[in-house]
Amino acid sequence: MLANVETCHYPHSPEQVVQLLQGKHQRILLLAGGTTASLSSDEKITDLVDLTRLGLEGIEASDGGWRLGATARLQQLASHPGLRRYAGGLVAEAAAAVGSRPIRNMATVGGNAVQVFRWSDPPVAYLALGAEFELLGPRGQRLLGADEFYRRHPRRQLERAEILTAVLLPAAGAAGRGAFIKLSRTSFDLAMASAAVWLQAGGGGIERARLVVGGMRTLPFRCRDAERLLAGKKPTPTLLERLAQRVAEEVPATADVRTSESYRRRLAGVAARRVVRTAWERLSLEKQP
Amino acid sequence: MKLSFELNGRPVEWEVEPAQSLLELLRQRGLKSVKWGCGQGDCGSCTVLVDGQTMRSCLLLAAQVQGRSVTTAEGLAAGGRLHPLQQSFLEAGAVQCGYCTPGMLLAAKSLLDEIPQPDADQVAEALDGNLCRCTGYKKIIEAVLLAAGGQST
Repeated sequence: MLANVETCHYPHSPEQVVQLLQGKHQRILLLAGGTTASLSSDEKITDLVDLTRLGLEGIEASDGGWRLGATARLQQLASHPGLRRYAGGLVAEAAAAVGSRPIRNMATVGGNAVQVFRWSDPPVAYLALGAEFELLGPRGQRLLGADEFYRRHPRRQLERAEILTAVLLPAAGAAGRGAFIKLSRTSFDLAMASAAVWLQAGGGGIERARLVVGGMRTLPFRCRDAERLLAGKKPTPTLLERLAQRVAEEVPATADVRTSESYRRRLAGVAARRVVRTAWERLSLEKQP
Repeated sequence: MKLSFELNGRPVEWEVEPAQSLLELLRQRGLKSVKWGCGQGDCGSCTVLVDGQTMRSCLLLAAQVQGRSVTTAEGLAAGGRLHPLQQSFLEAGAVQCGYCTPGMLLAAKSLLDEIPQPDADQVAEALDGNLCRCTGYKKIIEAVLLAAGGQST
C-alpha cells in the first residue's frame, strides 16, 4: 500500500495536471485505471492525481485515422465498431487480449501505453501501425512517432511534468490490413509472446510490412530483418516458414517464470507467422468481388 | 480525505485514507459481500460495479470512486425481495460455497443491463475473469439465462 498518501487531486483539464506536476513539494502518483498503481508500495508518494476527469476519454475519428483519448478504457477499444474495422482491426484485437473484462474496464489507453510492461499488448499494435503519441507539457504540445516513443521506456521519454493526452492512429493505416495475436497459457494470462503486423499490398504481393513482436523485453520489438524478407513477396507457406525462423533469430528473447528463452523464441516466430498469414488473408479477401 | 460517492443508490460521505483499496474500505464499513480473494485482480471475487461497469475493488484506490456510483451485492435485493438474478441463482443451483457468487451476480447484472437477452456465449464472456472452483460454471451460466427470461436446460 501507498502508506504516506495524504490527498488526491481531481483536475479537470490536462493543463491543470501539467501545472500540478510542476509543483515542487509533493511526490505525485498519476492514477488512471489504477491497475498497477494500486499494487505500488512507494512510501515517498504523498499526493495522488486522478486523471479520469480530463475530458480525454473519447475515441474519435480524425482525418481518416483515429484519436484514442488517453483515458479511454481498453474495453472501449476492444468493442468499438470503427476500430474493429480499421486496418483489419488489430488495435481492437490487441485491446481485447488484455486480461479479463473487469481489467479492460479499468485499464486506460494512456496508462497501458506509458506504463508499458514486457507483456503489454496494445503497444505492440501501435508500433506495427506507426501510431503517434500526443504529449502535453510545460512547453506545450508535441507528437512522437511510435518508433521514437518506444525506443526507450516511455516514462523516460516524457519530460518533466509532461503527460500523454492521446494515441493517434494514422489515416495511412486504413490503406493496409493488420492482425494481432497473443500467445498465453490462459485467455486472461499475460502474453508469453505476442505479435502484430501491418501490411500494405502492391504489385500482387506485400509492398510494405511493419512487424512487431511483444513479450520479449519491456519494449515491443520491431523485426526489421523479417520485414525485409516480406517486402515485394507473397507470403507462401515456404516464405512464412522462413519468416518464423528469421523472427526467432532476431528477437531479444529472455527467460522468465512462464517460459525458457528458446521456447519464447519459437513462440515469437509462430506468432509472427500467424499474424502475417491473417493480415494477408484480410487483404486478399477484400480484393475479391 | 473526505470521499463522497453513491453506494448502492444512497449518497455517502466518508473520511478515508485515499490510497486504501476500495475492497478494504468496503469490508471495513460492513459490506462483506465484497470478497477478498487473490487481492491482485485475478480471481474476480471482489468485483463491484463502478458507474455500471465491472471493476476489481482490490485494484481500485478509495480515492478513485470520488463522485462515482458503486454497486455491491448488498445493493441488489430491494424491498425485502431478492433480485431476479439472486432468485435464479438459487433456482438453478448456481451457488455452492458462495465465495464467487457476489462477483458473478454483479458481472451478470452488468451484462443484462447492457444486453437483456444474451446467449450462452455472451454470458460466458461476461463472466470471464470470475473464477469458481465449485460449480464448473455451467449452472451459473444457466442461472443468468434463466434470469434473462430464457429457458434453463
